[in-house]
Amino acid sequence: MSSLYLDLIRIRFLTMLAYRVNYYSGIIIYSINIGAYYFLWKAIYGDAESLGGFTVAEMTTYVAISWMARAFYFNNLDREIAREIKDGSVAIQLIRPYRYLVVKTMEGFGEGLFRLLMFSVPGMCLALLLFPVQLPTDAGKWLLFLLMLFFSFLINTQINLLTGLFAFFVENNEGMMRLKRVSVDLFSGLIIPISFFPVWAETLLKWLPFQAITYLPSSVITGRIEGAEAYAALGTQIVWFVLLIIPIFGVWRLARKRLIVQGG
Amino acid sequence: MGGIGKTMLAVDVRNLRKEFKVQKSREGLLGAFKDLFRREYQRIVAVDNITLQIPQGEICGYIGENGAGKSTTIKMLSGILVPTSGEIRVGGYIPYKEREKFVRNIGVVFGQRSQLWWDIAVIESFRLLRKIYRVPEPDFRKRMDELVERLRLQELLHRPVRKLSLGQRMRCELAAALLHNPSIVFLDEPTIGLDVMVKAEIRQFLQDINRQYGTTIMLTTHDLQDIEALCSRVVILDEGKIIYDGSLERLKQEWGKGKEILFRFSAPCPVAVLKETTAGIDVHWQAEHDWEAKATLAPTETDVSGLIAAVASRAQIADIQVLETNTDEIVREIYQSGAEAAVAMEETVEATVRV
Amino acid sequence: MYYASIIVDYLKTYMKTRMTYRADFWIEVVSDLAYQVMNLFFVLVVFQHTNLLAGWTREEIIFIYGYFMIPYGIFSCFFDLWDFADRYVIKGEMDRVLTRPVHNLVQLVLENADPPALFGSLTGFLIMVYAGWQLGLEPRWYDWLVLLVLVIGSAMIYGGIYIALTSVAFYSDSKTGIVPMMYNIQNYGRYPVDIYNKTIRFLLTWVIPFAFVGVYPAAYFLDKEITRIFALLTPLVGAIVLMLGVLIWNIGVKRYRGAGS
Repeated sequence: MSSLYLDLIRIRFLTMLAYRVNYYSGIIIYSINIGAYYFLWKAIYGDAESLGGFTVAEMTTYVAISWMARAFYFNNLDREIAREIKDGSVAIQLIRPYRYLVVKTMEGFGEGLFRLLMFSVPGMCLALLLFPVQLPTDAGKWLLFLLMLFFSFLINTQINLLTGLFAFFVENNEGMMRLKRVSVDLFSGLIIPISFFPVWAETLLKWLPFQAITYLPSSVITGRIEGAEAYAALGTQIVWFVLLIIPIFGVWRLARKRLIVQGG
Repeated sequence: MGGIGKTMLAVDVRNLRKEFKVQKSREGLLGAFKDLFRREYQRIVAVDNITLQIPQGEICGYIGENGAGKSTTIKMLSGILVPTSGEIRVGGYIPYKEREKFVRNIGVVFGQRSQLWWDIAVIESFRLLRKIYRVPEPDFRKRMDELVERLRLQELLHRPVRKLSLGQRMRCELAAALLHNPSIVFLDEPTIGLDVMVKAEIRQFLQDINRQYGTTIMLTTHDLQDIEALCSRVVILDEGKIIYDGSLERLKQEWGKGKEILFRFSAPCPVAVLKETTAGIDVHWQAEHDWEAKATLAPTETDVSGLIAAVASRAQIADIQVLETNTDEIVREIYQSGAEAAVAMEETVEATVRV
Repeated sequence: MYYASIIVDYLKTYMKTRMTYRADFWIEVVSDLAYQVMNLFFVLVVFQHTNLLAGWTREEIIFIYGYFMIPYGIFSCFFDLWDFADRYVIKGEMDRVLTRPVHNLVQLVLENADPPALFGSLTGFLIMVYAGWQLGLEPRWYDWLVLLVLVIGSAMIYGGIYIALTSVAFYSDSKTGIVPMMYNIQNYGRYPVDIYNKTIRFLLTWVIPFAFVGVYPAAYFLDKEITRIFALLTPLVGAIVLMLGVLIWNIGVKRYRGAGS
């Protein structure tokens, strides 16, 4: 069974490699994204030394790291699932002897690995050349970051699975998927670090899973969270990962029931 | 409309060719990486310099195995694909050049794909198509009445397409393709997956349309019965080349196996007896034992009921099964009996050299 | 005339389809709006920490955002063909489109039209008017006409860019196409382009001219002298980009190869 899942990761990786146009445009687009936000933040800072607890240098690193991390955790599983539900092919998936959601997750992981190795690493090198990005040299920090990145992927994927499965219950969940996409980008701290939000919003966001996707790992690697606090951040991620399993399980059971009622 | 005179060819194709570039994927991870930077392509010839003329008012069957290039040809003829080279005129137009004007004159049905709007009632789709094809309201009404009657659509008109069975849907598809009274109709596997009754209905309908309006029909099919019921002319395609172009009669005479009928008996009946009782009919008998026998009628012999009557007079029949001949079998047959003979009619034929 | 009546009929068909799923209509309107509000949220948060963004005030940035929403709404109503590659090219629905006597792009636009998205345009307009009022702008009578012309220009730019991007599906056999990846780029035209460095400014002005969908035309009403000329270029750029987009599309369609054999 596990070798099947490994194979799924590998196949998705190879599939991604097969689309040249997507690959090249992807690299360019990620570079533009980092560049645009770098300049946007520079303009926001103006003459200010530090905003929201970030210095300009920290902010630059934060932006670059966060976008590169997004390359890894980002996937379109919600759209894929919604499409399979709409065109009915999900029924075929369900009679196959594997777990549909795990299969999807593995495919997403293959995609993420592809982007991490093929986008993020070369993209990071480019960013190091173009912008004043400062990366830590402490190996332990990197190890922790990579582990946290893995949980970012898991949590983001869980949210995608949930959104995608909603296609079982509404005819058109396009709007919902779009909404989710912006929520993740905005509330995860990718576009603005959580510490910039007004206090009420910051408190609220601390109770939502989104911050675990970008803000926590990026804060660890930029050195804003250190020592025991860093491990606590990892703990938060793990808690969210476990908590999110519950609604997925529930929605999945409801969805299957619905599928049987509708007769596929 | 379209200036099609009686003397004109409905379809006039010369040296038509379509090549596809297919990416060759190298194996494994390393291969995939290499592909990212330098890619290798393979050219595949889907349609290989075919020449074909179909006069107005003909029903032409276009057969061949899967991947022989049938659909590709139909798609070029109906303006969907742009040919790699060659000349193509359909109803006086060059399909891919004057597409929007051209398609007003044709009807297309793809057996596997719907052209109706999924969620709304069938009649709504028809109304929208009327607008798209600019059919004047009175003409539309007259035409609708006729189609509704002939295809028995009355019950279906107010149901959404997604609630129709395959056979019902196909009848609606046909009506949709014929709403604007096109002079040429292309049908790609119109009877695929349908049951015998619906198939027969559709054949009858196509024949009527052809007779009444002189509509030129070109259809692809795997079902030899479609061909027998409809086509005076058969074109066979293999690996992108035409390997037979002529009448159904000649095709049957030269390569047809004739009908095969399998008898099962409730009491043993030796072959000798069968041979004796069917002496007047051109038939070949085959039997492994006395409980079962297979009769193969000569391709020219059509008297099936005579055969059955003759057998019934001497034997107790438990079961009769008429074995259908598939078009694919004929294509194979042509190959086995030597492709040269079939191809002699074509000017030049090269061995299947692939680019 | 013919095309006008076709449009009406497609919209009727759309309404009939939507009436079957009435609840979803409102879900879509609401989620579309929520999406816009969240984008605005970014601006609000940023201005908690600074008073000026490269010399532009919060209300000015919000004004630009409001303007941007208008062509964006028109775009999402008509040109948002994000699943084109999968649905039409790989699954071969393009076959059907190509056998009908209406220009294929027009059919696609009409088949995929999504009128609820126009609520976004309306909201944008209201945001713009509100921000303009806060800024104490006094519109002259012809400013409304200018607005109309600029919005049409911007929508044409949006359309042109996305038509070109969508037609990549004819060249690459990827399932998703590159449209979803472009998603963030369109946002950058909403900020004053002078904050970016030369490369990005050039990109946003001349290569993927999203600046003409946001900051340039909006600045016309704000009397920012730097972009006056650019603002008036909007309709021209719109016409050129749309033409190029359609041209690339038409070349792409010739390469369409259908599904299966």
